[in-house]
Formats: sequence, structure tokens, C-alpha cells
Amino acid sequence: MSWNNNNGGPWKSSGQGPWGQGSGGTPPGDLEEVIRRLQRGLKNLTPGGGGGLPTGRGLVAIALILALVWLAFGTFYTVQPNEVGLNLVLGRYTGKTAPGLNLNWPWPIGSVIHVPVADQQITEVGYRGDARTDVFAESQMLTGDQNIVNVHFRVSWQIDPAHPEDYVFNVLNPRDTVKAVAESIMREVVGRKTIDGILTSDRKSIEPDVQTRMQKVLDDYKVGVLVLQVQLQSVDAPAQVISAYRDVTAAQQDLQRAVNDADTYANRVVPEAEGQAARIVAEAKAYHEQTILEAKGQTSRYDQIYEQYKKAPGVTRERMYLETMERVLGSMPKTILDTAGGASPPVPYIAIDPLQGKSAGAPK
Amino acid sequence: MTRAAAYLALVVFAVIAALAAFSLFTVDPTEQALVLRFGQPVRDLIGSPGLYARVPFIDTVVYIDKRILALDNERQEVLVADNQRLEVDAFVRYRIEDPLLFYQSVLNVQGANSQLGGMLNSALRRTLSEASISDIVRNRRDQLMAEIRDAVRGGAKRFGLDVIDVRIKRADLPEENSEAVFHRMQAERQQRAASYRAMGAQQSA
Repeated sequence: MSWNNNNGGPWKSSGQGPWGQGSGGTPPGDLEEVIRRLQRGLKNLTPGGGGGLPTGRGLVAIALILALVWLAFGTFYTVQPNEVGLNLVLGRYTGKTAPGLNLNWPWPIGSVIHVPVADQQITEVGYRGDARTDVFAESQMLTGDQNIVNVHFRVSWQIDPAHPEDYVFNVLNPRDTVKAVAESIMREVVGRKTIDGILTSDRKSIEPDVQTRMQKVLDDYKVGVLVLQVQLQSVDAPAQVISAYRDVTAAQQDLQRAVNDADTYANRVVPEAEGQAARIVAEAKAYHEQTILEAKGQTSRYDQIYEQYKKAPGVTRERMYLETMERVLGSMPKTILDTAGGASPPVPYIAIDPLQGKSAGAPK
Repeated sequence: MTRAAAYLALVVFAVIAALAAFSLFTVDPTEQALVLRFGQPVRDLIGSPGLYARVPFIDTVVYIDKRILALDNERQEVLVADNQRLEVDAFVRYRIEDPLLFYQSVLNVQGANSQLGGMLNSALRRTLSEASISDIVRNRRDQLMAEIRDAVRGGAKRFGLDVIDVRIKRADLPEENSEAVFHRMQAERQQRAASYRAMGAQQSA
């Protein structure tokens, strides 16, 4: 890119092509003639040969040779496959030339600027080189919610093959311009978004957004540059807070893990509990059925007793009384006193119980 | 051809070549040129490239860049609304529109840059002083840049300069404030982490 640097442009100095191809400009017959003349001229120049100054013929020969050398070396030049050549004649841009062998006027009339239009150029912002060396001032930027984010990105671009003359003639330091515009636009785009968006879902949209905006600004400047791609290399929270950000991720995982653990536990416990519940319900249902049946049984028994009772109330009542008394007194120790004789104090009878042992409900 | 004639031809050629060298000059596509005779312009501005003539030894040619030039100003602290401070750097892209005026008022690109730099600084301070940080960073960036550009453009006319664009490159918090932001970010994240863990505890309860 040396033509950018000094005033006047260095293409004034040289624009010559390769040496070998230059000699193709004159037919071989002429060349032999020229050499013969040259030999003669040289002979004349040497003090011993011609004596004193060169002859008129010798001078003409020398002038001719110089002219030929000038034309041969100055006229032809090659343009490499990745380049185009820009021809300048007397300072005026006269056209671009394709890769291969090309012609232009020799210096100082004409000159050629080689422009590597096919090369992909890389501009790195926020870092340098593969080591990912952080360039603090370039990489830190404010987000829309006034957080700070650390962005490394690179821009691939190319000199527009359709307008290489714009790249060369329109802008001083086009490379710096690309970088300055890239920085400005990236900050503008990042400034519109929140840090959470930038770190997650908005990442994808940033790249094409920056690319189209950059292209627009560069087109406004007529820099002659095609922005091929904008790639975010890394987007991170600043080093000072990155541990807190990682902790949030860890906490999210903790949350997930806690939920998963709970789910596992639930999967184990719930079926068991459900089984138990089903069993309890079944038991309750059984009890329910049983109770009803029992109640019905009692009712029907009562009804039967009532039927009997209706037939003979006196006997039945007596029987019920006796049955009840049997149930109540049967298991108790009893001492029977005879008060019918009217004698007092009562005569102590032998206690029956101890004689009967432990057995209750003895027949009366 | 006699020897004398040949030498004469040589001398004549040398003289012609010397005359040509001193009286002809080329103007490149990246340049425009003023021809001055004792400091006074003697012809109209040469705006298109090509071969031109001058009177040798009397006329001087001043080449002036025709390309888009850049001024990247130094990062500086600007007071914005609510007494907040921001470190801002911006760049100007401009072109020399009136070379004679340019040459008379600032002489060269360095002169132009120092004038422009002053104008840019004052325009930045004036325009941004009423804007809040979120205006500058998010809401009204384009608008503010356009305002600054128009202010600088108006002032630059006096020096024969056409301001094509002014863009804010960086607008960042000063280092002390950055620390505060880092603390806030950290606190926010810690809060969020705690809330995630609490949610985990709650959901797994």
C-alpha cells in the first residue's frame, strides 16, 4: 500500500515490467544491427581506437540504445493474477488492465499502480493476532442498558474489483478508514442492545447488521471496498465480572439439577404413595361395605326378634331380660344372699366363687 | 551526419529536456494543484489530473490532496447530562473543497487538522452536554452525530473544507465509573444466581 503514504505518489518513481519480456519488443534482426553499432561505437569511444571524442555515428548509436532500453524496460509490465493494474499517463488515469502482460508508456510519462483486488483483507478489532491479545480500548464497549461488554471481531473485506480506482484515488488510508468505520458501527449496534441479548440470542443478528451498515458508510465515502464478512470472535462479559457471569450459569445448572433431583425423588416416591393410597381406599371401601352389611344384619335380626316379640310379648321380654342379665352378670363374681326369709342380720353363705376358681358365668 | 551536428543535437536535446523538466508538471488523480507566482495564484485551480505547464523558476506549484482525509481525535472526557462523564473519541472525514482558501487559511493538512480538531471538540462538548448517556449510547446516536457533523461542517467551510462525515467511535465510561459498572454487573449477576438457586430449592421442595 505504499502509494498511500507520500505526497505525489511513488508511482512516479517506477512502473517497469520484468526484464526478460522487454526484449521481445524489437525484432532480432534489428537487435543484431544495434549490437554491431554498439561495438563500433564503443571502439570509437576508447581513446586508442578512434582517437579522442566519439564520432557522430557513435553518439547516435548510444542515444538509440538508451532509447531502446528505456522503451523495452519501461513499456511492458505484468499484472499478477490477484491484481489489476491502473495505468496512468502524465498523471491521468487511463484505464485498468487485467492480469497478464500489459503495456503502458515508460517512466516518466506513464506509470502503473498494482492493486491486489482479489486478496481478502482482514481487519481485526479488539484483539491482535492468533494469541487473542486483548486490546482493551477497542474491545470494551457500552451496551444499551449501560453494561460493559468485551467484543472481539474481525472484518474480511476486499478492494472492489469494479472500482479499484476509488480505493487508490479517493481516500487517504482506506485501510484505516475501514477499521475506524468498523469500530464506530460495532459500537453503535452493540449500543442498541442489552447485554443479555448480546451474550445470547442477538449475537447472530449483530454480524449481518454491522456488515450492511459498514458497507453503506463506506459506499458513502466511495472507498471502493466490499465488506465480505463480519465475524464476532468472542463476546464476553469483561474480565472483572466474568466469574459472576459464570456463577449465574452455574446457578442455572444448580436450578436444573435441583429440579431433576426432585423429579427423580418424586418418580420414586409418588408411585409408592399412590399404591398406598389405593390400598387405603380399597380398605375403606371394604369397611364401608362391611359396616353396611352388619347394620343390615342387625336390623334384620331385630326385625326377627320383634316378630317373635309380637307373637308372645311376655315370654320374649322375660327371655330378653334373662339373656341381658346373663350377659351382664355372667362374667362377674357373685355373692348370692337370701333375703326372702326376712331374717336379719343376713346369714353369711359360703362364697361360691373361690370354689369355682376363675371360671365366670357359672350356671345358676 | 557530422560530429558537430550530432553534438549540437545533443545539446539542443539536453536544453529541451531541462526546460521541460522545469516548466512541465503532472497532477495525479489524488491531487489538485495551485500555481502561485510570488504567492499569488496565476491560474484557476487545477482540479483534474494531467500534464500542465508553468513558468520555470517563477511559478511554484502547490499540490493539495483531493482524497478524503481523516482526523481521528484523541479520546477525551466529556461532561454529559446529569453531570455524568463519558470518554468519547470521534473521527472526521473531510475533503479539501476550496484549495486556495485552504492554502491561505491553514496552509496544509496539519493546520486543517488542528482547526478541525478544535471545532470537533467544542461541537462534541456542546452537543453531548445536553444528552444523557442512554441517548448517546442507544437512543439518539445517529441524530447526535448528525448534529455534530453539521456544526463542524459549518465551521469548516471557512477553511475551504467539506466535512463528509463525523462519527463517534467510542463512547465509554471513564475508568472509575467502569469499576462502578462492574460492581453493579457483578451484584446483578450474584442476585440472579441466588434467585436461580432459590428457584431450584423452591421447585424441588
